[in-house]
Amino acid sequence: MKKSLGSLLLGKWDTPTVVAVAIGAALFGVLMNYGSITVFTNTRLTTAMLVPVIVGGLFGALPAAVACFFGNVFADLLGGWGYWFDWSTGNAVLGFLVGMLPVYGANIKEGKFDVKHAVIFAVIAVLANMVAFGVVTPIMTVLLYGGELTITFMQSFAASLSNITVLILAGIPLLYALAKRYAKGTNLSRE
Amino acid sequence: MKDKFLINIVPGDTFLHKLSGSTKVRLFVVLLVFITMSFDLRLILPVFVLTLIGVISAKPNWKQVKVIMSVVIFFNLLNIFLFYVANPTVGEYWCNQLTIIGQLNNYFVFPVETFWYLFVRLIKMLTNFMVSLWFITTITPSEFAAGLYSLGVPYKVCTVVSLGFRYIPDIARDYENIKISMQLRGVEMDAKRTKISERLKQMVLILVPLIITSFDRVQTIANGMDLRGYGRNKKRTYYCEHESTNADKIFQFLTLLLFIFSIGYIMGVNIWPPQTNMWCPIDWR
Repeated sequence: MKKSLGSLLLGKWDTPTVVAVAIGAALFGVLMNYGSITVFTNTRLTTAMLVPVIVGGLFGALPAAVACFFGNVFADLLGGWGYWFDWSTGNAVLGFLVGMLPVYGANIKEGKFDVKHAVIFAVIAVLANMVAFGVVTPIMTVLLYGGELTITFMQSFAASLSNITVLILAGIPLLYALAKRYAKGTNLSRE
Repeated sequence: MKDKFLINIVPGDTFLHKLSGSTKVRLFVVLLVFITMSFDLRLILPVFVLTLIGVISAKPNWKQVKVIMSVVIFFNLLNIFLFYVANPTVGEYWCNQLTIIGQLNNYFVFPVETFWYLFVRLIKMLTNFMVSLWFITTITPSEFAAGLYSLGVPYKVCTVVSLGFRYIPDIARDYENIKISMQLRGVEMDAKRTKISERLKQMVLILVPLIITSFDRVQTIANGMDLRGYGRNKKRTYYCEHESTNADKIFQFLTLLLFIFSIGYIMGVNIWPPQTNMWCPIDWR
């Protein structure tokens, strides 16, 4: 069953996807607040970054982006450090890029995730952070809040470094574990 | 930690609680735009006072509010301090001048403008917090979704918001339970006694069960929703959305005025000419 690139990117918005995105966003909000270590002002080494990995792996890129965006808004709502929609947008872009797992053939639900996928995932994780926090967030910062780029760039640098650390050191083992878990139940083939 | 969540599921009975979801969501969005658009204390301070009155009138659970408030104030002060350490002369960018009244060494100088900027920033952050506190204490997740839907957001996205909102307390409770059971098995979680690399490893220990329990629920919830016919029609109505009362109409009118003012301000001040400085009350030179 071959799916088109577009449907892999957009995801299928049926009820399980809606629920998974909602739970992913809630998880992102909770982990951003409690599952993280502050490394720089408003920037944390956060395990919330694993949410787009899972939602992307299971449901596609756009659901991961939506989960990240609302997850960041929830985190801002709970954390009380103010609303930073430049960062929410950056996170949405990051979620979209990181969540592209099914596009290059890593199908977690069927237990497909090997070394090749892990390497592509690592490269994309690095590139995605550079695009999301090196380009998108500063542009949004200028548009929405006017200037203040020194601190934004310092924050982006710290955020990218900590995100890449979390994505590679924790994301890849997690993907392996999930793929293994799903592989157990799927030696049936569709007829 | 579980005491820190203020999300209510049951509608309250004060004036602000009784406003309809769409009124509250509109007011919230416009207030956010209003707060985000400027660093002008003259605009921020009135919102701070009004939202403070709003929060008091909503009679929240003060014990919870006190805990979350002290955390917020602590983190904002810490942030302000880090902002100062990152760039002690940031005030020059905002006020186009620098009046140094003392210095520790060549890097850590004490310019009045930086302190003014950091003070306004602190007030802005606290106002942001008051706006969200007012919103969170008076709205229920379904009212939030109904309000977003009335703004034209697709209802599947509204469901993401209300469902996500609904599950935050559950996930936080699971997090706490898993953390306690890990501690029971002898995993040291105290921030003072463990290194960062160790803590990252322990976070993964909490995370794997948390992710599995959270995502295991997905299919159950989705089945429940499918059985009730979710997603069959293109449109949706909300049970909690009542007809506009007089108070709703007055608030929506005021929100509209504020919205027009904000658009005008963004057009006139933020976009052209590009805003490079903020309102400083005194010329220190």
